[in-house]
Amino acid sequence: MSLEIQNLHVRIEEREILRGLNLKVSKGETHALMGPNGSGKSTLANTIMGNPTYEVTEGKILFNGEDMTEAGPDERARAGLFMAFQYPATIPGVSVANFLRMAVNAKREEPIKVKEFGKLLGENMELLRIDRAFTSRYLNEGFSGGEKKRAEILQLAMLKPEIAVLDETDSGLDIDALRIVSDGVNALSGPDMGSLIITHYTRILDYVKPQFVHIMLDGRIVREGGPELADELEDKGYDFVREEVAAANGS
Amino acid sequence: MAPSWLDDRRTAALAAYEAEPVPTWRRSGFWTTSLRNLDIDALEPRRYEPVGSEEELPSEVRDALDGEPGALIVQRGASTIYIHVDAELTEQGVIVMPLEQAVEEHSELVQEWYMRRLSEDEGKFPAATAAFWTGGVFIHVPANVRVEKPIQSVYAIDEPGTAQYAHTLAILGENSECAIREYCLGADIDGQALHAGAFELYTAPGARAKVAHFQDWGRGEIYDISTKRVVIDRDAFVSWVPVHLGGRLTKQTLDIITAEKGSDMRHTGLYFTERDEHLDLFTTDLHEAPHTAGDTVWKGALTGESRASYEGLIEIIEGARDTHTYLQTHQMLLSQRAKGDAIPSLIVKVDDVSASHGGTVGELDEEQIFYMMTRGISRIDAVRTLVEGYFEEVVQRLDDPGLETLIRRRIGEKLLAAEDQVKEFVGHRAGAAQEA
Repeated sequence: MSLEIQNLHVRIEEREILRGLNLKVSKGETHALMGPNGSGKSTLANTIMGNPTYEVTEGKILFNGEDMTEAGPDERARAGLFMAFQYPATIPGVSVANFLRMAVNAKREEPIKVKEFGKLLGENMELLRIDRAFTSRYLNEGFSGGEKKRAEILQLAMLKPEIAVLDETDSGLDIDALRIVSDGVNALSGPDMGSLIITHYTRILDYVKPQFVHIMLDGRIVREGGPELADELEDKGYDFVREEVAAANGS
Repeated sequence: MAPSWLDDRRTAALAAYEAEPVPTWRRSGFWTTSLRNLDIDALEPRRYEPVGSEEELPSEVRDALDGEPGALIVQRGASTIYIHVDAELTEQGVIVMPLEQAVEEHSELVQEWYMRRLSEDEGKFPAATAAFWTGGVFIHVPANVRVEKPIQSVYAIDEPGTAQYAHTLAILGENSECAIREYCLGADIDGQALHAGAFELYTAPGARAKVAHFQDWGRGEIYDISTKRVVIDRDAFVSWVPVHLGGRLTKQTLDIITAEKGSDMRHTGLYFTERDEHLDLFTTDLHEAPHTAGDTVWKGALTGESRASYEGLIEIIEGARDTHTYLQTHQMLLSQRAKGDAIPSLIVKVDDVSASHGGTVGELDEEQIFYMMTRGISRIDAVRTLVEGYFEEVVQRLDDPGLETLIRRRIGEKLLAAEDQVKEFVGHRAGAAQEA
């Protein structure tokens, strides 16, 4: 069970953003993908989910061995992929509870029973320490940054994907919110889920421990390693990686 | 025998009707509302026999009823065919009857209010309605009476060739409370018909009312040219909800007037056009006295090759100081060939007021659709949910569960009918984004 990205080239408006990216995330693994602004992190997340704004010009996205490069976002989601958005869209007039029910039902043959759904929702809200009143609000309308991220993690918890991509889920969170979101991710991680945590900062990695760390620069992964790579990055910064790559290319 | 005062009004109206040409409404830009495709001479009032029970009403009427009203009066073509008033309402002194009957039985009361703020001189069709109306609806709620169940009137057209001239007069006594619904319902007729209507409602001081207009003329060629006017007296409040869900061509003037100190209103409109429908609405929130308030929201959506224009004016006359009012209008285009506009405007002739207005015309947001699809929701379900969500804000303001259910159901059906073009439209946009 895995998400495998092979030699991915992606372009938006004539500009090539991803330039031959390779990555494999398996169920049960936690990966961190780190990179400076403009390195193509969000493009990767969006392309994994099939955002039509991004054009794949070369390479493949395989999910459980199946080629998903051309599949629609809904098909990918039903297959078990999930993305927590950096800037989730607002859905006016649709309550959190109704939206979650639609999403849960989209994956099922028979619609979930009201009681069962209520129980599932209650458990997950407790897990994420979310107030009950939250579910009757329109999704993301008037939500604070922290509430939006919590709503994303709540969806993650409800949908139980095989592979979750978290796009800058830590950005814009205060320390309490960061802890709640991290606790949520930790609670959901395990043998049944793999995750790809995309982040600019090492901050979230104080709470969520990845087994694998990848560093992205200019549309490619340039360094890979274990958790120690994040520590190194924390000490030396992205410029160090950039110089290192330049030196390697120059030699 | 109709009283002579009414004969005089009808004679004046007939003269105005004969003097006026068939109008064409033009505005700067692309907008024209023309009746050149309507063969008025081929239309005539049609008479029908009364029916004994709700079960015998035409099916398009039965489909829209929900058993909630305490009084129901139905006009088919030119004839009132059904009246039911709960005994409780009669005991409270509430009058619900054809206007034709009211001019005889309550001549003085009717004369006092009849066309007080409507005029024969507003154009050919208002004049036609004033000259030719038959049947009609009269509602009177006495002072200090609170009516629990809605009072409902229905104008139905189910035969091509019908000309229906309709007039509703509602008078709400001091400190009374009630909900009034007027439904205009059409069968899917094969041919043309005309509804030319007038609606006037006057509150006395302190009255509180919910007033809903629900229009769904079906898939036939029914033209609707109507004027509706709601006039609110001192410290009275009206929540007014005009809903337009279908008709070949609709041209309506909708005015809500806060006429005395402390009068207050909430004005909520909704429309959905499809196929080759043409909708032209002009609303005015008219503030005529100090310390009045208004809160207006209009939302519409367009599919097919339909055309919809909403123009909403806030007018605050001299002397109406300390008025607080706002108007917002939104329109959503759901097909490539639909065309419309939503124009708010403001005329303020006094200082010391707060008035604001805003208008948007938009399309579905590809980002919202993508977001929903990443949760496994199909494109068409995402679109449907977004459109229903878009209308939800206005539906929530109706405060009438029966009407809310009816509107949600009808919008759902219309979206289903437009499924292919809506899908194609957003698909086209997604494709365009990819090419860009």
